[in-house]
Amino acid sequence: MRLLLIEDDDILGEGLRDYLRGEGHTVDWFRDLRHADAVRGEPFDVWLLDWQLPDGSGLEWLRARRAKGETTPALMLTARDRLNDRVTGLDSGADDYLVKPFAPEELAARLRAMGRRSAGAADARVRVGPVLIDLQARAVSRDGERVDLTAREWALLEALAMRSGRIVLKGELERLVHGSDVEITSNALEVHISSLRRKLGRELIGTVRGLGYRLDDTGAR
Amino acid sequence: MSSGGPSTGPARGARAPLAASGVADGAPPPSIRRRLARAMLVGSMLAGLAVAVSVWLAVIEEVDELLDDTLQASAEVMGALLPAGGASIAVAAPSHSDERFAWQVVDASQRVVMRSQRAPVQPFVPPPMAGFADSAQWRVYGLALGQGARTLYVAQTRAERAEAQFEVAISSVLAALAVGLLTYFWLSGLVRHEWAPVQRLSDRLAAHEPLVAGATLGTAERAELLSVHRSIDQLGQRLAQRLAHERAFTAQAAHALRTPLAGIDAQLAVCLRESPPALQPRLQRVREAASRLQRVVAALLTLFRSDGEPVRDAIDLDALLHQFPIERLRIELQAALPLQADPDLLAAALANLLDNAQRHGASRVVVSTPSAQVVRLDDDGPGVSAERRQALQQALDAQAYDDVPGLGLTLADLVARAHGGRLRLPAAAGSGFAVELSLGAGG
Repeated sequence: MRLLLIEDDDILGEGLRDYLRGEGHTVDWFRDLRHADAVRGEPFDVWLLDWQLPDGSGLEWLRARRAKGETTPALMLTARDRLNDRVTGLDSGADDYLVKPFAPEELAARLRAMGRRSAGAADARVRVGPVLIDLQARAVSRDGERVDLTAREWALLEALAMRSGRIVLKGELERLVHGSDVEITSNALEVHISSLRRKLGRELIGTVRGLGYRLDDTGAR
Repeated sequence: MSSGGPSTGPARGARAPLAASGVADGAPPPSIRRRLARAMLVGSMLAGLAVAVSVWLAVIEEVDELLDDTLQASAEVMGALLPAGGASIAVAAPSHSDERFAWQVVDASQRVVMRSQRAPVQPFVPPPMAGFADSAQWRVYGLALGQGARTLYVAQTRAERAEAQFEVAISSVLAALAVGLLTYFWLSGLVRHEWAPVQRLSDRLAAHEPLVAGATLGTAERAELLSVHRSIDQLGQRLAQRLAHERAFTAQAAHALRTPLAGIDAQLAVCLRESPPALQPRLQRVREAASRLQRVVAALLTLFRSDGEPVRDAIDLDALLHQFPIERLRIELQAALPLQADPDLLAAALANLLDNAQRHGASRVVVSTPSAQVVRLDDDGPGVSAERRQALQQALDAQAYDDVPGLGLTLADLVARAHGGRLRLPAAAGSGFAVELSLGAGG
């Protein structure tokens, strides 16, 4: 998943960024709202927001985004543990709420749950023909045989699985997989798509000419 | 199982001494209403009696004068009607006036020449005289007739006069006492009526929530209660202001403490994943210590928040104790009764007590539940003397935490009090140290 992390504490921000990258996520980390606004319009799977930030309230920022119709799932990471704070956070547009201090393992589990909800799956598995993608176990198999993927290949497959059945624009997919802080070569995405097709079957990922790609599960799931 | 530490603020759930709530031990305080009622009863009766006595004296005097006037008037009327001559003794026929008066006409030689039925045959008074006179039985008025050859006496028995005076006086006195009694009942009702606003103020105070924004006691029902309303409203505002400051402070403190703790854990999680296998057990222990620290900080933040109440839940003591792998300390759980307590607060208290046991030389701690809602820890450390144990218990009972070294016992006592219980330091079975954490009534 591509995650937008807004956290002003260096030790926590860096720790979360590295931990979540280790989990296979793409993390764009900003220390304040001003810099986070610079990537406005970029596609993210989840926003991870601190409440109290140096240049404003993360909750107000979220409210403003929701008021403009942006629906990216948001998870509040905050030291505010009172019941009314949690209620306010959730009522203001947050989809989940995690009180500091928390174990990064729990954050990762909640992200997987949010991923499942985004994919519209009751469980963590998405089946496309002979291919079974387990978003929770971060594993993929074809005809029951486990297939090993690189981190980038998994990120690409996960991004498509979470949006299965709909077209993902090429530029959006590039940013979901590589983030905005990584220089990518012009054909890097095609290389990973090609590799995935080779490992999981050509029919898995369809190309919509001039637009992007789609995980083609028509009649298969 | 203890060490030095700073004093802490007032704890949630701490019970104020009974006397501080205005109720002294033993007899209840005197009742204003009852005292007023007694004073009014005595006052009304005394006033009634005073009025009665003065009425009595006035009535006696006035009735006496009235009867004398009547005697005199009767004598003058009779004197005008009696025949001028007549030397023979005559007894007048009985008449209605005989019931009240007696009369006689006495000549110059002290002979009774005429008299009424009730009058004696001897003159009322020996020497002939005019005006009022008293004999043993009679009150007499004498009137000279003609040239003073004869004297008319009109008399009334003294007993009849006294009876008339008494009847008039007693009815006046009874009327005065009745007015006194009625005054008492009227005043008593008035006091009850005027006391009702005070009672209603008391009821409103009981339901008053001074910390709710804009909460006031409402309009005062009596001018005398205005200052009470004003003082209570001002007190509520001050409390609300202090609470707002405290909330702002605890929010900042929570942020300042919780965020670095989360950062430490996230960094350690990355370290654990990226470090060589040889380092991982050590890093794991560091992470466990950080986790304990998180629990203590979370418990302290909850504990010192004035509106935070323990959130009771069923406690799995075995699972809870497994959260505390303390090096070189064996923890044994003996048959545990069900417990209802705040898991975070109890975990913080137990973590500190176990840490203390280990730091004070214990190698084994037995955890048990000797009775409902009580957790007991017995360690095999060197313990403390009986005198020291009693001094610690007294300090805990009085919440004199300055005299209790270390955070462990203080924190455990605050956790117990937050649950409505106390921390007890019973005599240990062996040489070690024992604590009993009572957690109030479950539910």
